[in-house]
Amino acid sequence: MSDWDSHPPGEPSVVEVRTSATAALIPTIRAVASDLAARADFDLDAISDLRMAVDEACATLVDVAAPASMLQCTFRVHAEHIEVHAHVHAGSADATVSTDTFGWRVLQTLADHVEALRQDSVVGADHAGPTVGIRLDKHAGMPPR
Amino acid sequence: MLDPTKPRPSPGPGELGVTFEQPDARHALLVVDGEIDTLTAGSLERALTELLEDTSEVLVIDLSAVTFLASSGLAVLIRAAHQAGERRLRLVSTARAVRRPMEITGSDQLFDLYPDRAAALSPEE
Repeated sequence: MSDWDSHPPGEPSVVEVRTSATAALIPTIRAVASDLAARADFDLDAISDLRMAVDEACATLVDVAAPASMLQCTFRVHAEHIEVHAHVHAGSADATVSTDTFGWRVLQTLADHVEALRQDSVVGADHAGPTVGIRLDKHAGMPPR
Repeated sequence: MLDPTKPRPSPGPGELGVTFEQPDARHALLVVDGEIDTLTAGSLERALTELLEDTSEVLVIDLSAVTFLASSGLAVLIRAAHQAGERRLRLVSTARAVRRPMEITGSDQLFDLYPDRAAALSPEE
């Protein structure tokens, strides 16, 4: 995992973290984010920003997650940026990622790109609520904002 | 009512160390230790409420041992700054984990920032 160079150029390294959707495990996920950014030679501000952004995204999703459900967080580590996609199965049918909060504004400031995702539950799925997620992208350093 | 807080040697995940000190007649000091996120923002909020009830002239919050500050914690600090009104809160930290979130949100303007506790407790400049 530490040897990025063995990877074909242009292909991202992929790291997936899957945890119970509980706030108690978010410190673990943000530590992974921080570690990946450090290994990818992000500058110190960008490492700090990604750690906070991932924390913010996960905290937002854990809030709407169905009881006893899982939080999945996928990191795609490219040469100059890391793309993060996190999602949960929401508890209620009308659940959505709230984008009118202070936390969301902070997330927009931290990440170079961020979007809220939502997909209705398919018929016959083992969960009733929609899948809600957040995708964000962070550049290694000195990004044009 | 708040429990009197005890100093804790090293807070684990989900725990926040909060300690009150009264260095002299003019200053009240709150020392915070650990990670401020959704798990611990409530502890910080309770501690700040208690600090704001203090009638000391100068309120100092030492965040030197804080290693993470999420928006939930930032929101609590910002509310405290508004509640403090004319008594501008003094924050102590040089850590990127604290300075960076404050800078990018512009909330550093709401506080007087100091590099160390001695500077924050020094007589008026």
